[in-house]
Amino acid sequence: MRVWFGLTAVLLLALIVAACAGHDWATPADLWRALAGDTSLRSRLLMDWRVPRVLAAALVGGLLGLGGAVFQGVFRNPLAEPYLLGSAGGAALGATIALLVPLFMPQAYTLPLLAFLGAWGATVLVIGISRVAGAVDAAGLLLAGVAMAAVLGALRSFLMLALSDETVSLQVVMSWVLGGIQTPTWSGLGVLTAISAACLGLSLLLARRLDLLGLGETMAKSFGLDVTRFIAFAVLAGSLIVAAAVAFGGLVAFVGLASPHIARWLVGPLHKPLLPATALVGAIVVTLADAIARAALPPAEIPLGLVTAVAGGPFFILLLARRLRS
Amino acid sequence: MTVLAAHDLIVARGGRALVDRLSLDLGTTGSIALVGPNGAGKSTLLRLLAGLDKPDSGSIRLDGADLGTLSAVQRSRRIGYLPQHFEPHWDLTAGQLVELGAHRLEGLGAAAIRNVLESHALNDLADRRWSTLSGGERGRVLLAMVLVGDPSVLLADEPAAALDIRHRLDVAALLAARGLERLSVVVVHDLDLAFRFFDRVVVLDGGKVAADGPAAQLLHDERLDQAFGVRFERVATAAGYSLVANGR
Repeated sequence: MRVWFGLTAVLLLALIVAACAGHDWATPADLWRALAGDTSLRSRLLMDWRVPRVLAAALVGGLLGLGGAVFQGVFRNPLAEPYLLGSAGGAALGATIALLVPLFMPQAYTLPLLAFLGAWGATVLVIGISRVAGAVDAAGLLLAGVAMAAVLGALRSFLMLALSDETVSLQVVMSWVLGGIQTPTWSGLGVLTAISAACLGLSLLLARRLDLLGLGETMAKSFGLDVTRFIAFAVLAGSLIVAAAVAFGGLVAFVGLASPHIARWLVGPLHKPLLPATALVGAIVVTLADAIARAALPPAEIPLGLVTAVAGGPFFILLLARRLRS
Repeated sequence: MTVLAAHDLIVARGGRALVDRLSLDLGTTGSIALVGPNGAGKSTLLRLLAGLDKPDSGSIRLDGADLGTLSAVQRSRRIGYLPQHFEPHWDLTAGQLVELGAHRLEGLGAAAIRNVLESHALNDLADRRWSTLSGGERGRVLLAMVLVGDPSVLLADEPAAALDIRHRLDVAALLAARGLERLSVVVVHDLDLAFRFFDRVVVLDGGKVAADGPAAQLLHDERLDQAFGVRFERVATAAGYSLVANGR
């Protein structure tokens, strides 16, 4: 109970700090005035731009954490990451097409839609390839995912070189690919909140079966889990969660890797407490990272993906070293 | 009473038959030791009987129903499978592991879980993480996980192989004792344990049943020597016969 209270308190604190941070720093008093309905320009800017952005960052962080926890659970590998499995790469390819190719719908719709399709398609392909190759175990899937991610990355680079011209600047694509929370409208934030809640619910439905899978495939089977079907289903659920995160936040590395680890230290490895705890940790991490991205080099903004990569890279190396040593 | 029977099972991998037209009636109760040389198909057969793998052809019937038509959950309630190696991927506590085993049985309350923990002397270990348990303690946790719902069929694949002699005796005695009221089929490497504790011994060789009968009779059967490719000397000891390989 104390852990949950602590995590929630830290998240609230992070949200307040992040809402104050920016190239123009606000005080908590400014924030309070804006929340109370003040109509001055400063308050309106805070309410229409910064607060929705901060909340969006928290939700994207929660989604990234959840996606990571689901993938680590499915692949029973604490080093598994959505970015290793092709789903994030597929989402990025879909979004690149949406940004560079004029389509019949406005970009506000095509970008999330194609990101979803990309993540889903890439994941289905990864499962298919590993099945055709006869690798039904987690390592086979993971390797197929690594290969898929490489191919998708190359395709994305090719599209960026071939399709960009004076009218669509490469910088738009690059800044998205490097990760950055888009500032949503309040109704857009409502949509993101609903999606995040649905993703949390979906992942909790998987919790008990992820625990069973963690006993190993033989034991999971003998305890009544249809392993092949569940892995396929859970990978799809995980890639949907990742696609939602990528559609709203671009490619943000390492949050999906680090958050489940931190959460496991706090609440243990059972998935029912782990999943919500991971979402909270991810929310805290991305809220703070996004604040740094906005406030560190005013008036410019550092891509969020760079902030998390700089912080998360050493974390990954540390985990790897510990794993290799043990 | 549950009846488990295999009929005309074939499993081939890479052009080699691991299980070759094997039929075996395991009955309703009793303790049965599966023995045989390496590659005889013991583990393969056990996985088939547990419904973990499907045979290329042939059928396994559990109470007259084809095992393949039962759902994974239905199967898991009636058949307990004790694997040779078990290493959970996450460092759960002994209590959490037993609870996961209990989950396949609907409505098995906290009281039932406490009972199982107690009967396997795990009360003091319930909150200990897997990584901190000794080999013998791990063996007890695994047994508790599998036996928590008191399945009518227990299939065990050399569960004691990694344990020291005292724990191996304990486990063999416990598994064989289940045969008094239920069906207990155990792959046993140590022939002395097989003949000392189990009612019936099935000798597998080359994916076929080479010999099958009451332990007391089979002990003196020539086919045992042929299957293992050695000449056994049967040495009478205070605890029963001991088989000593004596030349080829």
